[in-house]
Amino acid sequence: MRRLLVIGLIGLAASCGGCSERAPEVASEAPASRPVTAGTPDAGVMAKWARSCALCHVNGEGGAPRSGVRAEWSPRLAAGEERLLIHTVEGYNNMPPLGYCMDCERDDFLELIRFMAAGS
Amino acid sequence: MAASVLAGLAGAAGPAFASRDPLPWRNWSGGQVAYPAGRFAPDSEAALVDWLRAGSGPVRPVGAGHSFTALVPTDGHLLVLDKLSGLLGHDPATLRATFGAGTRLSDMGAPLERVGQASFILPDIDRQTLAGAISTGTHGTGLTLHSLSGYATRLRLVTARGEVIDLSEDADPDRFRAACVSLGALGIITRIEMQNRAPYRLRVRNWAQRIDEVLEDFEASARAHRHFEMFPLTHSDYALVLAIDETDAPVNHPPPSPEEAAAFDAAMRKWLEVPPGERRPLINGMAEQIEPTEAVDVSYRILSNVRNNRFNEMEYAVPREDGARCLREILATIAERKIDVVFPLEYRYVKGDDLWLSMDEGGDRAAISVHRSAAFDYRPLFDAVEPIFWKYGGRPHWGKLHTLGAAELSRLYPRFDDFRALRAELDPEGRLLNDHLRSLFGT
Repeated sequence: MRRLLVIGLIGLAASCGGCSERAPEVASEAPASRPVTAGTPDAGVMAKWARSCALCHVNGEGGAPRSGVRAEWSPRLAAGEERLLIHTVEGYNNMPPLGYCMDCERDDFLELIRFMAAGS
Repeated sequence: MAASVLAGLAGAAGPAFASRDPLPWRNWSGGQVAYPAGRFAPDSEAALVDWLRAGSGPVRPVGAGHSFTALVPTDGHLLVLDKLSGLLGHDPATLRATFGAGTRLSDMGAPLERVGQASFILPDIDRQTLAGAISTGTHGTGLTLHSLSGYATRLRLVTARGEVIDLSEDADPDRFRAACVSLGALGIITRIEMQNRAPYRLRVRNWAQRIDEVLEDFEASARAHRHFEMFPLTHSDYALVLAIDETDAPVNHPPPSPEEAAAFDAAMRKWLEVPPGERRPLINGMAEQIEPTEAVDVSYRILSNVRNNRFNEMEYAVPREDGARCLREILATIAERKIDVVFPLEYRYVKGDDLWLSMDEGGDRAAISVHRSAAFDYRPLFDAVEPIFWKYGGRPHWGKLHTLGAAELSRLYPRFDDFRALRAELDPEGRLLNDHLRSLFGT
């Protein structure tokens, strides 16, 4: 109940704040970067997933879509991969900017999004 | 550095990111933004030493990005310590354990439990890295409990020139006490040994109570419980009260049901439909319906919570004996000025220590926090409250928003000039400085 009371109060303010958020404009061009590989990212990127994304994208903390649960990613992917990248970098709803991955580069984020959306 | 100029403005700082833009760094609340020249994440202390010795430009270490102040922004390199993480060693005799600097607080509880140890204290949010928490004097709650920095017993510092220095209370007490709260300005902390204790369970109880009643008994309550704190509800007469004590009772910690949470959230949304000056009956009425609850769990699952909803925060620590008066004045100011904020405040005690830049240096302090949703301009609230903190001799939390510079800080900390001298000795080129730190240290 502590969580309910305190987080509930904080949740009120934040959710009202969320009402005023505007979705970022979607860039019309693809990001200029090296090709993103399909499939499971390499060990270095997976280590970044374990240290950062997994904090919320395993149990669905704060409404985060869970890794490998396609149904939770599908509506987000429908908005386009670039939109997801922008949300990741800027923060979106309860997700902090950069998703706690301070050393992720642009391609890392794209690989991680694809990995989590595809699942096992 | 352009980055930190943007800090202080409301909500997310900086222009919207487009996918072809350079990748920015932003803090957790979105209020700080930077465009670093590069990011470096060493996978060993040796790699860090080599990198620092080979380079010459500005560097700022980053943990989890939870500081609201501009400690991190740089147009030089961001130094990410995530790979220097995990439990590196432990001593069953002394109950001390060493962690890599980039270890998240949320990743310490279980490994410590497996080796028969537990942290004395954790802050309310546990996503931060250990080095980030130590470096900013991050704390929890308790009249008998220090900030996390107060439980560090040894740490390793790599200076901007790549010199490795091991510091401890025994070997070099002055520099150790300086380094325990050092804002990443003396060097890069790579590992920290913490004093722990045997694992334990905690029972948390919470309830709603009138603010005046809680404050009247606060001293006795703070002595009676391991942790005791209150969350005063703005524009009301009530606070949520939290008491935590050790227990041998079995674990019983059910998560709140989504239905309960939704109902509570819906009820609170009503508050915002009512002008601040008219909210008191509504909030009082709701507070009177809150029933006491309790839960039991292992310590690290009780002490910290997940804070999904992002906000900005100002926190000052005032002398304990002045805490209640300061809090009352803040609440009265918010009410009189009809400042439109629904976030509760937070009021708690932290045990004093002897660390040079600790908020709690020299004696016990009452820590008072005000919060504002990250999507809203925090300035009307923070501008109104900060002078009240000054009036009571408050010291700002290093990671939370404040407007003090070197002139004011040097009056608040007896060892401030000693710290500045040590900083200049260890980093004469000022590689670890950014605009914010130059302002803090008058460099």
